[in-house]
Amino acid sequence: MKRNHPYKKIVASLCFALACNTAFAADSALDLSLPAATASPKSFMLASNDTLPTGVTTAAPKAEFSEPWMSGDKLHQYMGWTTLALVAATAFSAPGEGCEGAACANQPVQPRQTNGAHAKLAKAAAFMAAATVTSGLIDHWDDFHMEDGFTDPDNLHAMLGTAGALMMMYAVNKSANSSVPVSHAGIAELGGVAMAVAVKLTW
Amino acid sequence: MLKKFKIIALLSSALFLANTAFAGETTADWLLSLERMKNVKAVTDKTYAKECGECHFAYPAGLLPSASWEKLLNATALKNHFGDNAEMDAATLERVLDYATNNAAEKSWYKRARKIANSGQAPLRITELRYIKRVHEEIPAKMIKDNKDVKSLSMCNACHTQAAKGVFDSDTVNIPNFPDYN
Repeated sequence: MKRNHPYKKIVASLCFALACNTAFAADSALDLSLPAATASPKSFMLASNDTLPTGVTTAAPKAEFSEPWMSGDKLHQYMGWTTLALVAATAFSAPGEGCEGAACANQPVQPRQTNGAHAKLAKAAAFMAAATVTSGLIDHWDDFHMEDGFTDPDNLHAMLGTAGALMMMYAVNKSANSSVPVSHAGIAELGGVAMAVAVKLTW
Repeated sequence: MLKKFKIIALLSSALFLANTAFAGETTADWLLSLERMKNVKAVTDKTYAKECGECHFAYPAGLLPSASWEKLLNATALKNHFGDNAEMDAATLERVLDYATNNAAEKSWYKRARKIANSGQAPLRITELRYIKRVHEEIPAKMIKDNKDVKSLSMCNACHTQAAKGVFDSDTVNIPNFPDYN
């Protein structure tokens, strides 16, 4: 009989986080910049913009300005928070671990719930995660540069966010397409953690 | 019950582990802070703000690494500070240099400062940083050099309306005479 290890998911999560951490630890050693990027390029446009005319030393905005109430950046931010809220709600609405082992041999098998609150919240979380990643790709596509290396906060944000969304979608798909209960919480929780770390890195 | 709290434990552990490499006196501050640290830390030192701000926008120290500040803020270099004499007395200079180096890019937890530190560059001008060049490269000269209310990319606060707070988000940009830029 398969033995259930309650802490294996936690250990897996910690290993994942540790693996992320190594990218920071090797900050000085892991130089992934391209040769072209280290050749002190002279910007074709900024070189001319860079010169400060004589006598001009300071400036201040001329007109009153108020931030737009909604923008691509704000939308991405709100969707990310909504995803994390849905992940938390999904985790808290999860049914119990069930009964395993010899002591449960005589207990009747409970019918599998595939359309309960947990399932609906999980699907919403996965959908929102995918939408968040999509909005990030659209609005922040020019913030992702591999020449800055894996330790770049924006690069890590994009990679962890995308990985998190994929893990959540995989977990939902795995559970929804199975006629019997399958283990999917670990990968879903990892996905949620990845997205939370991604948010913190650029918060 | 374990199920209920497992995700909270996971989140806390992962956040902690993912950031131990930033080990320093501000690790806990950064980890536990709900304050947004997406940009750069605003200038908090009055002497720095006064001495630098008398002539130009007092650039947040996190916009350059300490190696750059050390090259800029010494008695010899300040005699010809981009064409101007910016000398100051020894005590003031020491204080300004201390503030700048203690809050330089590589010592900051703010995201844009970390990006600048990650580049490994230590130029004399902020505008020579690869990251700064990249995020401004699509802006045509007519909006900066040829814009009478901007004149130069070094005039951060001409367009970045919250530059004094260390905020450089695109949502806060208002290019004078080009209100529809965003």
